[in-house]
Amino acid sequence: MENELKIILFMCNWSPHAAFQTLQDTLAPIPREVRMVRIPCSGRITKSLLFKAFETGADGVALVGCEPGTCRYGSGTAVAERNVGATREIFKLLGLGEERLTFAAFHPDQSGPLLDFLTGFRDRIASLGKSPVQQRTRKKEPPLSPKSAASIMSAHNIYTCQDCGKCSSACPVALSGKSFSPRAIAGAIAAGELDSAPIREDIWSCLTCGLCYDRCPSAVSFPEFIRDMRTVQRASGNPRFEAHEGFFQALMRTMASPDLPVDHWHWLPPSIHTDQSSKTLFFGGCAPYFDIFFRSHLDVRTADILSDGLRLLNFFDIYPAILKNERCCGHDLLWSGDREDFLKLARLNVELISDMGIEELITACPECYRAFSHDYPANGIETGFKVTHLFEVAEKVIGKGAIGFRKLNRRITFQDPCRLSRTEGGSELPRKLLNRLKVRNFTEMRDRGPSSLCCGNCAWIGCDSSSKAMQVNRLRQAKETGSDLLLTACPKCQIHLRCAMEDPFLGDEIRMEMLDLTSVLARTIQWE
Amino acid sequence: MKNRNGTERKKREILITGFGGQGIVLAGQVLGTAASLKDRLHSTLTQSYGPEARGGACSAQVIIADGPIHYPYVDNPDILVCMSQTGYDKYYPFLKENGVLIFDQDLVRAPEKVSGDLFPIPATRIAEELGRKMMANIVMLGFVTAVTGAASLDAMLASVADSVPKGTEESNTAAFTKGFDFGQALLKGRERKAAGRKGAAS
Repeated sequence: MENELKIILFMCNWSPHAAFQTLQDTLAPIPREVRMVRIPCSGRITKSLLFKAFETGADGVALVGCEPGTCRYGSGTAVAERNVGATREIFKLLGLGEERLTFAAFHPDQSGPLLDFLTGFRDRIASLGKSPVQQRTRKKEPPLSPKSAASIMSAHNIYTCQDCGKCSSACPVALSGKSFSPRAIAGAIAAGELDSAPIREDIWSCLTCGLCYDRCPSAVSFPEFIRDMRTVQRASGNPRFEAHEGFFQALMRTMASPDLPVDHWHWLPPSIHTDQSSKTLFFGGCAPYFDIFFRSHLDVRTADILSDGLRLLNFFDIYPAILKNERCCGHDLLWSGDREDFLKLARLNVELISDMGIEELITACPECYRAFSHDYPANGIETGFKVTHLFEVAEKVIGKGAIGFRKLNRRITFQDPCRLSRTEGGSELPRKLLNRLKVRNFTEMRDRGPSSLCCGNCAWIGCDSSSKAMQVNRLRQAKETGSDLLLTACPKCQIHLRCAMEDPFLGDEIRMEMLDLTSVLARTIQWE
Repeated sequence: MKNRNGTERKKREILITGFGGQGIVLAGQVLGTAASLKDRLHSTLTQSYGPEARGGACSAQVIIADGPIHYPYVDNPDILVCMSQTGYDKYYPFLKENGVLIFDQDLVRAPEKVSGDLFPIPATRIAEELGRKMMANIVMLGFVTAVTGAASLDAMLASVADSVPKGTEESNTAAFTKGFDFGQALLKGRERKAAGRKGAAS
């Protein structure tokens, strides 16, 4: 039973189900590995549902719908094809094998072809074998006890809170109009109100952006406190408010499978030079997954940050190694309360990177940077290699002289990524480079540097109307500067702010072109 | 001219010029010391005193060769290093055909085209950024070392540390390295541009 293949058949209620029923009525030999799930429309099976089938143990998934043009709801078949296409592309990056997921359409009277399809699909999955995704049983932890809450609180200095309220007056969530207050949460938990409904919801509303920590006179590390509270809440099985139906959390958990033959860089243009014997590694990050996931409605191109980052390094005569089976750094797992899988992923990453003999890791992603340089050691995982942000490398080489920038006839402003700007010196680093660019002018937003505002979401958690309010507010600040190009330094800032720009009512008021600073550097840098 | 053992003689005449007070003579001394005491070559230094020491165009003349030097004055330098406009105006006409011209680009207005190589550097600006304008001469020495190789890098570093006032070795070494890095970056950039690769690959 353990080694038997599991094939999930998502079967549309309308045309194909009639064919399937015919097979059942005539006792046709439907492959016994196939488990049918009847659904109202193939268009309603999202990328997340398709993916979660694999995360929870499927070896193959077939989504079966109606022939184009016969969909009862009009667009179901087209949407299903698009979702399957995108998920297959994600499988290609992930090394799970595109062939494990397929879409097919049948008329009600096509029971014969349906049986042929099912047998053929079973044979194909059988030739691929069991899925490399590791399955595990998760035991439910007991809910938060006053004692464990006390240890979390003292670990993050919650008891030193002076109740001054500086956190709540700076908190972007509170300012967006949500009834949320870091001070009130800390107070309520300290008073023993551990498991009330508002607390359970509030700990998932926090952005963990760190602005409160920046303002706190007692150095209460509220974001890390929230993170640990989430870990406990999640382990005891309470709701988790994951955005995008938990797709990204499922993706990251899947990546913790050691046997997964990830193929992270297959799309890299051949003009970029890498050297697998190098002692320096370029760690790209998950942007290629984001681009596929959000393609249908956002048209973000964050994978350009990876290729432009490598181009920039090539320009500096640095030809780094790349990790062919690069996985997620695990930042978002940790911050969405899944410490267990974060640790698995972190250990796996360190092992893979150390096996290559790497001495220095360079990344352009602020979250990867924070995870490797801070979160890994803080969780007891020693990396043994130096972690450098791409901007540090760029500033150092450009500072030597003889390198300049081509003129860029734009007015720019800059959105700080939280994980970079609130570390020491982290907000000055991109500014040194921004001031080197030859643009028409560079104007700062009202809230900037260590005080800058979050793009509205972190760790793929809790997207709601107040996230939107924050994003709109941020984009209005950007527009206020009179700039026509918004630079960012994190793929997620781009995704979230671009999402807000889709608003049909605000339209041009907040619409603005966005680019990553890495891309602008790589595209305008030149020898003087 | 040949050396006594029959090999082709290598001799370079270097003239460093600038205002009095810029440390022109010290620069010449550091360069000559590096070549003779560290690189085991022969070198001479002559310097012009007089009214220049009060702020006019002063100069240091260094000759570096792999054999004995019989005449210590530089009439037509192979390498001319200019740190002031008056110095440039005075000595540029004597620069050899195809000689190398090195200058502080913020202090000297030099021609766009010359017969030999042209190497500009904002030495004084770099020294200011490092915190002390006084170190412009050391920045310039780093640059000269990178683009001409008149003395070796190790010899120059040792010579700089020996020659500057006690307690300023570290900042002066940093200034020297900055100038050296700038020179290397400049050479690399020229090489890239000549190969038609001006920006990052697209």
